[in-house]
Amino acid sequence: MLELRHLSKVYPNGTAALQDFTLNVANGEAVAIIGGSGCGKSTLLRLIAGLEQPTKGDVLVDGERITQPHPAVGLVFQEPRLLPWLTVGDNVGFGLEGVPAAERQRRIHDALESVGLAEQAGKWPREMSGGMAQRVALARALVTGPSVLLLDEPFSALDALTRASLQDHLVRLWQDSRPTLLLVTHDIEEALVIANRVIVVRPRPGRIDAVFDVSLPHPRDRDAEDFESLKHELRGALDRSLRDQNRAAG
Amino acid sequence: MTVETVLPGVRDNTKPARATGPSPWRPVVLGLLLPVSLAVGWEIAVQAGWAEGRLLPPPSRIAQTLWSLSEGGELLVHIGATLWRVAVGFLIGAVAGIAAGAAAGYSRIFRELVDPTIQGLRAIPSLAWVPLFILWLGIFEESKVALIAVGVFFPVYLGVTASVLGVDRKIVEVGRIFRLKGFALVRRILVPAILPNVVLALRTGLGLGWMFVVAAEIMGAAEGLGYLLVDGQQLGKPDQIVAAILVFAVIGKITDALIVAASTPFLRWQDSYGAGN
Ligand SMILES: Nc1ncnc2c1ncn2[C@@H]1O[C@H](COP(=O)(O)OP(=O)(O)O)[C@@H](O)[C@H]1O
Ligand SMILES: [Mg+2]
Repeated sequence: MLELRHLSKVYPNGTAALQDFTLNVANGEAVAIIGGSGCGKSTLLRLIAGLEQPTKGDVLVDGERITQPHPAVGLVFQEPRLLPWLTVGDNVGFGLEGVPAAERQRRIHDALESVGLAEQAGKWPREMSGGMAQRVALARALVTGPSVLLLDEPFSALDALTRASLQDHLVRLWQDSRPTLLLVTHDIEEALVIANRVIVVRPRPGRIDAVFDVSLPHPRDRDAEDFESLKHELRGALDRSLRDQNRAAG
Repeated sequence: MTVETVLPGVRDNTKPARATGPSPWRPVVLGLLLPVSLAVGWEIAVQAGWAEGRLLPPPSRIAQTLWSLSEGGELLVHIGATLWRVAVGFLIGAVAGIAAGAAAGYSRIFRELVDPTIQGLRAIPSLAWVPLFILWLGIFEESKVALIAVGVFFPVYLGVTASVLGVDRKIVEVGRIFRLKGFALVRRILVPAILPNVVLALRTGLGLGWMFVVAAEIMGAAEGLGYLLVDGQQLGKPDQIVAAILVFAVIGKITDALIVAASTPFLRWQDSYGAGN
């Protein structure tokens, strides 16, 4: 279980990025966090990943308090952030230092295979397209078998076709190994394709605005009627949240 | 489907264009054209008696001088002496530059304490140190090596500091996510990230090392390529001067190529980028 208890984050420059954010995510659940830019979504993931310390509140993974990066928590950034001096295979195996060579090789291969890039282990990151690089980054996070997987707008820089195929791919990966998934996005469709629960966040400071349960079975048909109606509902909630924010700002 | 059938066609169009592109030898040939024809022209002019060639000896005389210098092993002694000074000075300057540069890049307090002083010292033209070095270290090897080391130190220090400061914070976070700290973070993230720029800084440093060995040897040496320069001037032997200059150029180029060759295996990932374009 991932527990966020009254999380607040004020940056040293005084920006209140997050305020009193409380959320419980059961093991194996897939939750999407959606909201406009600057509403603290990345901050939330960085707190859970242990890259930042909360000003107030706690992050707990299976009862253990997170104060620094933890092996049970994997993070995929918005950009691939591959290390250019390592081959694709060695990038994937970056977190496997100390694992015996044969075992390491096997796990790298399995992780690359799970993202459909088994043949690319010897290539350099320079030779990867944007979508391939992001899949390598996903494999790098998956290879250590994290029980919580955090994704920060992982597909937002990709073209629509690649994005849709990677979303479907992520759903299959999640169904296979069932990590707890926390996906940050500003794409309504992406949230609905992947998540069991969608959380709308409103900004300045970031806090929960609305929660939607999505009970459609996976894999989801983007053109189905109930999917469309959920999309409308979610868009309405998001628009309301943005409007309120603009009124507050103006 | 349609996408896949279009792509090979696009690729086919680019292939013949590449094959008819300029040959890789073109820049070499074109680049050599001017110096080689000047040299040949000068040779012909002197041979034909149109020019005297006393102040600027023709290529054949320089070749002769080089030959006679190397016959008795004299040239090797001079090369050895100069190489030894550059090697020791470069080693000291490079090690000190890397250490201080890494510390200044990595530690803010070190940077705040030490960098202003180093920048201040850098403002002194390096040759101004010579009298002091001679007073401190004597007129023999130590003062020469010290001058070379000073020349090497500053570009290496600056290059390493800048490259450590320039390491992408986003890449460092990848290391942090995998729980790397301290030495492991330095070894697995920072060192590979700065390596290309460190190699560049070392090459600049080496270039300055060669510059300062000439200065040091001109100011007084019993052997070395710089000594050949001074000797050639005092005895009126321009062929010896030009010969020494040529040897400087060749050896300087070779030592630079050695750094490049030594670093190539570690920078293969960069080459692949260049090759891909
Ligand atoms: N390191 C930081 N220092 C100061 N302010 C920051 C920092 N990171 C983010 N912020 C601010 O915090 C707010 C939330 O940022 P972020 O979590 O990146 O939002 P999102 O990911 O939803 O776009 C923004 O106003 C942003 O400018
Ligand atoms: Mg963000």
